[in-house]
Amino acid sequence: MTLVVPPSHEPAAEDPTGPAAEPLLDGPADDSVTAAVGRLNGEFSGRVGPQLVVRVVRDCRRELGGSPVGALPELVERLARYRLDREIG
Amino acid sequence: MGYVDVSAVRHTLSDGRVLLDEVSFRVGEGARAALVGENGAGKTTLLRIIAGDLTPEAGSVARTGGLGVMRQFIGSVRDDTTVQRFLVDLSPPAVRAAWDAVEAAELALMETDDERAQMAYAGALAEWGDAGGYDAEVTWDTVTVAALGVPYDRCKYRELSTLSGGEQKRLALEALLRGPDEVLLLDEPDNYLDVPGKRWLEDRLLETRKTVLFVSHDRELLARVADRVVTVEGGTAWVHGGDFASYPEARTARHERLAELRRRWDEEHQRLVDLVRTLQQQAANSPDMANRYHAMQTRLAKFEAAGPPPERPPEQKVSMRLRGGRTGVRAVMAEQLELTGLMQPFDTEIWYGDRVGVLGANGAGKSHFLRLLAGQDVAHTGGWRLGARVVPGFFAQTHAHPEWLDRSPVDLLWHGEPGRPGVDRGRAMAALRRYGLTVAADQPFRTMSGGQQARFQILLLELSGATLLLLDEPTDNLDVLSAEALEEALAAFDGTVLAVTHDRWFARSFDRFLVFGADGRVYESSEPVFDETRVVRAR
Ligand SMILES: Nc1ncnc2c1ncn2[C@@H]1O[C@H](COP(=O)(O)OP(=O)(O)OP(=O)(O)O)[C@@H](O)[C@H]1O
Ligand SMILES: [Mg+2]
Repeated sequence: MTLVVPPSHEPAAEDPTGPAAEPLLDGPADDSVTAAVGRLNGEFSGRVGPQLVVRVVRDCRRELGGSPVGALPELVERLARYRLDREIG
Repeated sequence: MGYVDVSAVRHTLSDGRVLLDEVSFRVGEGARAALVGENGAGKTTLLRIIAGDLTPEAGSVARTGGLGVMRQFIGSVRDDTTVQRFLVDLSPPAVRAAWDAVEAAELALMETDDERAQMAYAGALAEWGDAGGYDAEVTWDTVTVAALGVPYDRCKYRELSTLSGGEQKRLALEALLRGPDEVLLLDEPDNYLDVPGKRWLEDRLLETRKTVLFVSHDRELLARVADRVVTVEGGTAWVHGGDFASYPEARTARHERLAELRRRWDEEHQRLVDLVRTLQQQAANSPDMANRYHAMQTRLAKFEAAGPPPERPPEQKVSMRLRGGRTGVRAVMAEQLELTGLMQPFDTEIWYGDRVGVLGANGAGKSHFLRLLAGQDVAHTGGWRLGARVVPGFFAQTHAHPEWLDRSPVDLLWHGEPGRPGVDRGRAMAALRRYGLTVAADQPFRTMSGGQQARFQILLLELSGATLLLLDEPTDNLDVLSAEALEEALAAFDGTVLAVTHDRWFARSFDRFLVFGADGRVYESSEPVFDETRVVRAR
C-alpha cells in the first residue's frame, strides 16, 4: 500500500456548494490536473485530441473531489486513463 | 485523560478453577499503577478482561478514554507481520477499520480496474483521511525514526520477526506513548529492552499524562515509576495506595492481618464446636437443654456456611536443579569470528566453569551469537569450536515452538526429544512441582502464562544434560522468586554459562562480560557495561 500522503484540505475551488464546479474550468488547475494532462497527452497523442484529454481529466478531478489531496494525482490520472482507453475503444 | 474502574470481577478457567474473584480497584486519571503478582497469578488475564478480550463471569469494568494495549508476547513475534500491520494493530479501532477498508479496495482494484472499483478506492482513502489515518502515518514516521532510526517509508514492509525483541517492544511503546489513547495497559513492557531502553521507558512513563496500568517484575522500574500497586494474589487483588518503597511493608502487614483474622475465625469455630458438643451431652440428660443445643447447632451451621476469611496466600517455592558435568578446559573458542553484517571479527576463549554475561544494546547481534553456538544456522565468517564433552543447551523465549502449542507439559516431558530422554508421569509431576507448575501440568502450552512457559523451558534445560548453558534473556517473564531460583541453580551448575541479559541485578552474578558495542566492536570487560548506545547500522 502506498499511503504516505500529507494531510491537507481541499482547495477552496472545490467547494461543492459552488455553482456546479464551474470555477474549475477557468480557474487555476491544480497540480493533479496539470500533471495528468501532461502525461496523458503524451500517452494518447495522435489518438485523442488534447481538448478531450483536458476535459476528461477535469471531469475526473471534479468527480474525485473529497479525496485526500495527496492521493489526487494518482486517482485522477488513473481514472482519466481508464476513460480515455474506453473512448478509443 | 481516562480512568479504569474494575468492580467485583470474577473469572473461572476452562478447567473450572476460579482464577480471580471479587477483584475491585480503580486506576484514576493520570495514575501510574503497577500490577504485580507471581507467575500465573492472573495479571495478563485481568488485563485482557479490562481490554474487553475476555468477558468476566461476574462483575464489570468501566472506563473512559481510548484504550491502548501492549501484550506480554510482543517482542517475540515470529510470524510474517510487517511493521506497518503492527502499527495499524496498535491504533484506535476507527483507524484500524479504515485501514482494512483501504486494503480491501486496493485488492478489488487489482482484480477489476473499472470505474466502480476506482471510485470505491477513492472513497476508502477519503475515509482513511477522516479517521485520522494520515495523521497516524505522520506519527508512525516519528515512531519508527525514534525506535529504529529509519523513516516509516523505509521500514513499513519489513517483517517484525527481523527486528530484535527489544526493537519490537520499543516500536510498540513509542507508538502507544505518542498515540491518541488516554489509557494504556502495558503487560511487561520492559521485557527485552536493553538498559538504556529501560531507563528511557521509566522516564517516559514518569512524564506521560496518560493513565497507565503496567505489569512488571523489575524492581527498579517499579520503584521509579509506580505511584500505587495492585497485587494479584490468593485468587483476588488488593491495592496499596503508595509507591513501591512502602509496598513490602504493606504486603507483610496485610498478610499478618489475614493470618490474624483467620486465626480468630478458627478459634471462634473451635469454641462453637466445643459448645455444641457440651450442650449435646447436657441435652441427653436434661430436656431443658435440648432447645439450647439446637439453637447452638444452628448457629454453628450458619457460621460454617459463611465460611472462613481468605487465607494468607501460600508462599511459593521454586527449586531448579541444573546439573551439568565436567568438560574440556576450553569450553568455547572463537577466532576472527564475525556474524555477517553484525560486528567486527573478534576472538574469545571461554573456560569450563566461566559465567559469562553477554551484554550490549538491542540489535547488536547477541542472540545470533548464542544461536550460532547452539548449532543453528547463522551466517558468519571466521572460526569457532566447542571443547570436549561440551553439550550446548539453548534457552530463548523468543524462539517459536509451534509444535508445543497444543501439547501439555506432562505430554512434552513424557515424549522427550533427541538429547532429552522422556520421563513418566510420576517423575514429570515431581519435576513440575519443583518448578511451581503443578496447576499447569495438563493444560496446553499455549494457555500457560508467560512466566509459566519460561519456567517450563528451564525445566527442559535441566532434563537435557547440557554442560554449556546458552541463555537468552532468561529472567524476562520470570517473577522475582523464580529469577532468584534460577540464579541459585546457575550458581550450583557444574559447567559453563553464557547469558544474554539486560537485567541489571541478575548480571551481577556473572564474573566475565562480553560486550557487543554499538560500533560493532566486541570486547571483554570485568564489570557489567550497560550504557552501550543504540546500534547505528544501515537497515
Ligand atoms: N485456557 C486455559 N486453561 C487452563 N488454564 C489457563 C488457561 N488460560 C490461562 N490459564 C491459567 O491462568 C493462570 C493465569 O494466567 P495469566 O497469564 O493471567 O498469568 P500472569 O499473572 O500474567 O503470569 P505471568 O507473570 O507468568 O505472565 C495461569 O495459571 C494459566 O496457566
Ligand atoms: Mg502475564
